Amino acid sequence: MKRTDFPMLGYGVGLRRQHYSHVLETRPKVDWFEVISENFMVAGGRALEVLEGVRANYPIAMHGVSMSIGSTDPLNRSYLQQLSDLARRFEPAWISDHLCWTGVGGRNLHDLLPLPYTEEAIGHVVARIRNVQDELERPILIENVSSYMAFADSTMTEWEFISAIANEADCGILLDINNIFVSAFNHRFDANEYIDAVPAERVVQYHLAGHSDHGTYLLDTHDHPVRDEVWTLYERAARRFGAVSALVEWDDNIPEFAELAQTADRARAVFDTTTPKAKHDSPKRTGKPALPADYRA
Amino acid sequence: MIHLKELESLLYRLITAPSGVAEGLAAERELVAGGLDAIVLGDERLSAEARVDIYANMYFYRILDVLKEDFPATLAVLGADNFHNLTTGYLLEHPPVEPSISHCGRYLASYLRDHPMREGAPFIADLAKLERAVVEVFQRADAAALEPDSLRAIAPADWPAMKFKLNSSAQMLALDWRVSELLRAVEEERPWKPAEQGAVKVLVWRRDARVFYRDLEKAEADALDAISRGATFAEICDVVAADAGIEDPVAAMNRMLARWLSDSLLARG
Repeated sequence: MKRTDFPMLGYGVGLRRQHYSHVLETRPKVDWFEVISENFMVAGGRALEVLEGVRANYPIAMHGVSMSIGSTDPLNRSYLQQLSDLARRFEPAWISDHLCWTGVGGRNLHDLLPLPYTEEAIGHVVARIRNVQDELERPILIENVSSYMAFADSTMTEWEFISAIANEADCGILLDINNIFVSAFNHRFDANEYIDAVPAERVVQYHLAGHSDHGTYLLDTHDHPVRDEVWTLYERAARRFGAVSALVEWDDNIPEFAELAQTADRARAVFDTTTPKAKHDSPKRTGKPALPADYRA
Repeated sequence: MIHLKELESLLYRLITAPSGVAEGLAAERELVAGGLDAIVLGDERLSAEARVDIYANMYFYRILDVLKEDFPATLAVLGADNFHNLTTGYLLEHPPVEPSISHCGRYLASYLRDHPMREGAPFIADLAKLERAVVEVFQRADAAALEPDSLRAIAPADWPAMKFKLNSSAQMLALDWRVSELLRAVEEERPWKPAEQGAVKVLVWRRDARVFYRDLEKAEADALDAISRGATFAEICDVVAADAGIEDPVAAMNRMLARWLSDSLLARG
């Protein structure tokens, strides 16, 4: 796969419960929404009603937190079936999840735990991504996580690890710029080197978010505005990768929708000023979804 | 080198150790020959143990936050410290197994049924059961509500054999304590009183994406039970007429039917 296999959706916002009514009633001018897949894996009720309403007016991408692609447990077939059903119903532009494990032994930690950067882990994850892609009948995106621990057995850098997996599994990368910054601080690596090393043609989406400074470590809390240092890193990514769909995440202390939309606008403005030649690639806010030609609305 | 499966299993045990990573690590001394430092990299800012501890805290507090949100009245009755301790014990017995975190409170009511915290609040398990039902009804399958007009179109001769269907989102709970008012008081941020003892059936249902609940009189509970069993309208009327507290069964049936329709409790068959 390559990035151009996916539409450029523009600059979007993560859909959160606090903004359901606002989004449905006012149809704010954002290019697209990302939804947490598991929040909509329900039999019925308001969540699915809301998603129907949102999907009627915007492109969406489905972002999961529980695929546990790095777990040594068998893949959860029931979960994948639900994900597949949800995708068939709502036709997202793509499906993403994290390069991590979330549980083992049939138990779920509901957290995104890092893997050791080893050949063993690469082989394990690549086989599972291929399996998932076969099941979902589409390439998926994997996201780099924020991490607070690294392993003595690792034989390569994180960017070498995610690049090898994406190349071998032939999947896309959801590059979380804030996660790179957080992990770079926590493990003392050069965030710029990360941006410079990942395979450009596989970067399909960015995440932008805020984090908390705990002194000895940074925590990926999604409860603050995007920090200046992360914007700087985003500029570097924009220069290297060109037009990539960007998404603002905010999960705690969630502000008014306007602030999220303004952050998405800033991502657009940063891209436009950083890469003036690519300006035409950046969809403009029209109030209508930026649908790619092959997207069935 | 520690293989991936062993690594994940070890980290799982450390992260979920009830008294923290340090105590969990003490139980792993034989397995972790070189110490945690041989597996997880530490530095002068954060030791290997402190790094795993970050994950242990996130695991516990993320689930605690979800349980607090799903069980606000249980939290109000027990208090924050007791609820925290309750969660510690609950996670040991019922660690999350589902991909969605919204299922993590599924067994809290049954866990409370034999819990020592019942001594101070004997109604607490029933309260948690009602709160969990509210969460579940919120996301149960949709069903198109039966419209009053479709009933008016039914010929009088066809009524006795007619069957109703309950909206699939509805749940009827049989409780030993009258906890509905307590939950309502907490939801409306009013002072609450301990629930009174008394067998009661509580109906929990969804209408227009909102969840409602109310205590049922015996006749209505029996009638709804009959509907669930697939009884005909004539049989439902017999159930209502047999209730000793009902003086005018026809009027009572009419009132109930009108309320069920306005509450969207009946679904199209």
